[in-house]
Amino acid sequence: MSDVGEHIVTGIDEDEVASAALQRSKFGITTEVIGLYVLCLFVALALAAICVAATGGSWTNVYTAILDGSIRKPGRWGLTLGISAPILLVALGTIVNGRAGLVNIGQESQLVIGSCFAAYVAVRLGGPGPFVLIIAMLCGVIGGALWAGIAGALRYYRNVPEVLSTLLLGTVAANLMGWGLRKPWLLLAPAAGRANRNQVSEPLAADTRIPRVTWFGNEFPISVLVALGLTLIVWVVLDRSVFGFRLRMLGRNPRTARRAGVAERRYGIGAMLASGGFAGLAGGAMLAGGDFGNYQLVANFGAGIGFAGLLAALVARQRVVILIFVAFLFGCMRTGSGFLRATGVSGRIADVVQGLLVLAMLLPPAILYVRERRRALSASSTRV
Amino acid sequence: MPDHRVGGGTESPPAAEFIDISKRFGRVVACDHVDLALHRGRIHGILGENGAGKSTLMKMLIGLILPDSGHIRLRGEEVKIVDPIEAARRGIAMVHQHFSLVEPLTVWENVALGDTGRLDPRQVRQRVGEISEQYGLEIDPDDRIADLTAGMRQRVEIIKCLRRDPEILVFDEPTSVLSPAESQFLFQALRRVVDEDRKAVALVSHKLAEVISASDEITIMRDGKVVDHRPTEGSDPATLARAMVGRDVVLRREHAAFGVLGESIRAPGTNRRADQHAVLRVMNASVHGRDGHVLLDRLHLEVYPGEIVGVAGVDGNGQRTLGDLLSSLCAVDGGYVEADGQIVTTGHAGAMARAGIAVIPEDRHDSGCVLDFSVAENLFIADPERVSRRGLMSRKQMHEQAAKLIEQFDIVCGGPRSPMWSLSGGNQQRVVLARELSHGPRVLVAAQPTRGLDVGAIEYMSSQLRAAADHGVGVLLISTELEEILDLADRIVVMSNGRIAGEMRRDAVDMAALGLMMSGANE
Amino acid sequence: MGNFFSALGDIASNESAYRNAIIAAVVLLFAASGELIAEKAGTINISLEAMLLAGAFAAAIGVDVTHSTWIGLLFAAIAGLLVAAIQANMSHRLPADQFVVGLVLNVLVLGLVGFLTSSINPKSSVVGRFEIPVLARIPLVGPALFDQPWVLYLVYPVLPLVWWLIYRTRWGLAVRAVGEDPNAADVSGLHVNKLRRQTIYLTGLLAGIGGGYFLFARSGRFEDSLIGGRGFIAIAAVIFGGWTLKGTVAGCVTFGLVGSFVLTIPSLGYQSIDSSFLAMAPNVVTVVAMAVFAKRVRQPGALARPFIRGLK
Repeated sequence: MSDVGEHIVTGIDEDEVASAALQRSKFGITTEVIGLYVLCLFVALALAAICVAATGGSWTNVYTAILDGSIRKPGRWGLTLGISAPILLVALGTIVNGRAGLVNIGQESQLVIGSCFAAYVAVRLGGPGPFVLIIAMLCGVIGGALWAGIAGALRYYRNVPEVLSTLLLGTVAANLMGWGLRKPWLLLAPAAGRANRNQVSEPLAADTRIPRVTWFGNEFPISVLVALGLTLIVWVVLDRSVFGFRLRMLGRNPRTARRAGVAERRYGIGAMLASGGFAGLAGGAMLAGGDFGNYQLVANFGAGIGFAGLLAALVARQRVVILIFVAFLFGCMRTGSGFLRATGVSGRIADVVQGLLVLAMLLPPAILYVRERRRALSASSTRV
Repeated sequence: MPDHRVGGGTESPPAAEFIDISKRFGRVVACDHVDLALHRGRIHGILGENGAGKSTLMKMLIGLILPDSGHIRLRGEEVKIVDPIEAARRGIAMVHQHFSLVEPLTVWENVALGDTGRLDPRQVRQRVGEISEQYGLEIDPDDRIADLTAGMRQRVEIIKCLRRDPEILVFDEPTSVLSPAESQFLFQALRRVVDEDRKAVALVSHKLAEVISASDEITIMRDGKVVDHRPTEGSDPATLARAMVGRDVVLRREHAAFGVLGESIRAPGTNRRADQHAVLRVMNASVHGRDGHVLLDRLHLEVYPGEIVGVAGVDGNGQRTLGDLLSSLCAVDGGYVEADGQIVTTGHAGAMARAGIAVIPEDRHDSGCVLDFSVAENLFIADPERVSRRGLMSRKQMHEQAAKLIEQFDIVCGGPRSPMWSLSGGNQQRVVLARELSHGPRVLVAAQPTRGLDVGAIEYMSSQLRAAADHGVGVLLISTELEEILDLADRIVVMSNGRIAGEMRRDAVDMAALGLMMSGANE
Repeated sequence: MGNFFSALGDIASNESAYRNAIIAAVVLLFAASGELIAEKAGTINISLEAMLLAGAFAAAIGVDVTHSTWIGLLFAAIAGLLVAAIQANMSHRLPADQFVVGLVLNVLVLGLVGFLTSSINPKSSVVGRFEIPVLARIPLVGPALFDQPWVLYLVYPVLPLVWWLIYRTRWGLAVRAVGEDPNAADVSGLHVNKLRRQTIYLTGLLAGIGGGYFLFARSGRFEDSLIGGRGFIAIAAVIFGGWTLKGTVAGCVTFGLVGSFVLTIPSLGYQSIDSSFLAMAPNVVTVVAMAVFAKRVRQPGALARPFIRGLK
């Protein structure tokens, strides 16, 4: 801390100052924050609208289609839930590694590896359906965890920044899956089952699929409920448990954590394993859940769900509860874009909207942080 | 208001003048209608405790802070200095205490930083040579900063300032990283700069003794106000000390805080009994840095229960590594560490803490606390299990126990929930102390425990260290402030180049020998 | 395995393999040389991928509209700069996390380019070869280096320029200082975040041109899969090269060669080597190289650490 900061808090009534800064008109802050978010989101949507209009499309049609496709038309919100569940799962894992101060951006590849593990086991393992399903999901977790674990181990044993290793291992995983899907002894379905298609795996048997339920005319796999349950567990573990406390300590100040008995390697690699495990589980759930193709692996099976989950976690800024809403919103973008074809506008516009929304949601906290710091220092000349 | 041109007799306007300057940070008044003038050819000592507002004032001069009201005049002309670049352009340079040299770069590259115009390495090197010759600041322009000692680095710092030929030079606590001999050397060089080039120098310090020995005039600040201004000649240290603190200074440790220490009056430590075993033994510990250079060189150290062992030495001689070693932050390459007769695995997370070694680290923000955590969380980072059941933490329990500690250690804060960063340095230090002592340690390592604290906080820390020793804890006090060590320690060891250069009892201290050991002369 | 080595032998004597390798290496060089400067200043630009892609797309538009390769390159540079402007201002004016911003930009630009391609579908063409006399006669490497589309030759002045910028100018000194110790640089009177933004702009400019170059040299027809992760490989090349220009060039050329093998091996009739393994080779090589070298190489002291005055 600089001497300026030191000085601010060295006077007699220093703590009044600090607490005053904290409590400074809560109402004012809240309105300001909400206003800022609304403004940023509006600008983002307007920019996307301009994009559509500039290419000759109708932006009202686009937004109506996205709304119809995601929640308004019958049966659609069930589908959206099914799509949102893996996004939520991936994001949960991302929050775990974020708490430990690690940056994992390879969720997509961890998801892919997880789905491969799950597919291999689910097709080959004999036994009662639910048993096979659970084992397959566990294998998905293990696959994702191992893939992320490589990056974790490289980070703590070889000083390789985990950002870069997770990034680079992304392509590797996609290619590994492509290779596996060409080998009958690995994932490729037997010739009889795949007609004239290449690179597909054998579909899961009906009794090894995740059961689906129907609520109010909307059908979705029960993995949605499992994801919500896991969200609760993650929240309790991260925010209430000793483990979560230590993990946060590691993320905020690794040296203090080490002195206090947090073994960096164990906790750091553990966080990476958990992060990859969640992504792997998401992959398994996608395979067995039924909202992503016909219960079988195809090339490009990940479909960007890993990235969506990563972005959701970043937008929710580590807060578990907000995450549920963000994941659902991202799910809406996907199901909504399915209705776009009718409007004649390319479905890729959903990616644009989503990207702009994420950018827009990054802005307010950054702006508020700068302002808060300026106020705290109240040194008008301080450049940030 | 006293006359600001005491003994000056100068006709020309001052090189720099603060007129009625005020600055508030929130509700704290850092500078309260301050008037002060710097004259060419004079060293102006600015004395005050930590937090008296002297650094704030100087930061306005170099453009890091803008005043709320009042004016700054340079040679009679009113100016507005908005950033350090502007200040440099106007001929103001500051020799910083920390953070202004880039370690992997060479001397000449650092000197050239922040200049403008085409980069001409040959010319910069030549200029470095000229300046170092002129003022006796010997240095090789092609050395890397990372390889230089603290004293050498400060030379680079000064050359970097002088190269721009500034009119006004500001020194902020310049001796905190220097050995006594290096400090002497610095002030000689400073005198030459002032006499030969008639520069105006501001010497900001909390050490009375060094300001008296080096300055021409003295301004004393307290609570943001100028409380006294007088020529150095004929000043009486006791009067100045009184002006600084605002009351009579009677306690020795207060004298120590200002760097004026008379004869020893305290009886040497009596807590230690001959029949006891050492609670902490560092046996021939060697630690190497990542690039292979020696940080600790077969260091041997023993601490017995109830005694305070002072580790004296100039900054950068391995004290930080010793602190890290006892905080489980690094491992030994040779030798071992023993606590209470048991060997402790070094470098193993939490091992030292579990072995009963409490640490008040040199930099509390680095390894002492988590600024984003609440006070309560910071009090339980080492053993959250104490407030948990079945792996789940009870916030209620944690806050209740934290409230008790807050009261016991008199921590001023907005309650257990207030974030650590909102506390003052002194109170953050109390949180660290409270946590470390609440575990009932066998050894307490205090590394630079009073750095950056004001007199009240220093006094509190000193009494806590003493109390710990009285309760039978072995205290290892690592400090670069010799006065602090002389004040508190029963036994003094001197660290130099990563090893113990010598040892003496407090009651048989020989200042000359001590100074020699600190400069590493007897190796 | 023997199969693999005979394939290697065939490639080592295959002129077009070298030519393709250099074409692939040069796009990496454009991106990596800018990225090197940015990383020297302390930023890792994940958005490098987006900069390349935006550059390639803008170049296609530019050529479609004006039929001038030069104007196409100009468009490419501007597009790269635009992406850089978002990255720079969000991560080094506002304190948004640089990786987050970079990732979002990658998603956004890919989406935007995909969307626009589907509705505009710009036409463009391959730039023909231009042989540099004498030099092109050097056996094997001559044609690869000096008988190429003329846009490739733009990279030759860029490399010495980058070296000169980093090691011989005051700006380069400031950049290195800012990447090593922003606090020290700040009190020395340098604008830390401004310098970092400038390096990102430079990266955007070079990567944009690189994207445009790749469009003209490689396919001539824009597809949103054109860049396909080359931005990430360029980042890997900088790390592989240990943050030196020499090392970065070596990294780019190595990865270019590997990338070229991927394309050439099947065409030489070696079907048994699975294309998946070849496609992942550059990344695997980089990860292994990082694992081997990362401990020995000193990265810029403040790499990927944001600077906010008063915060350590």
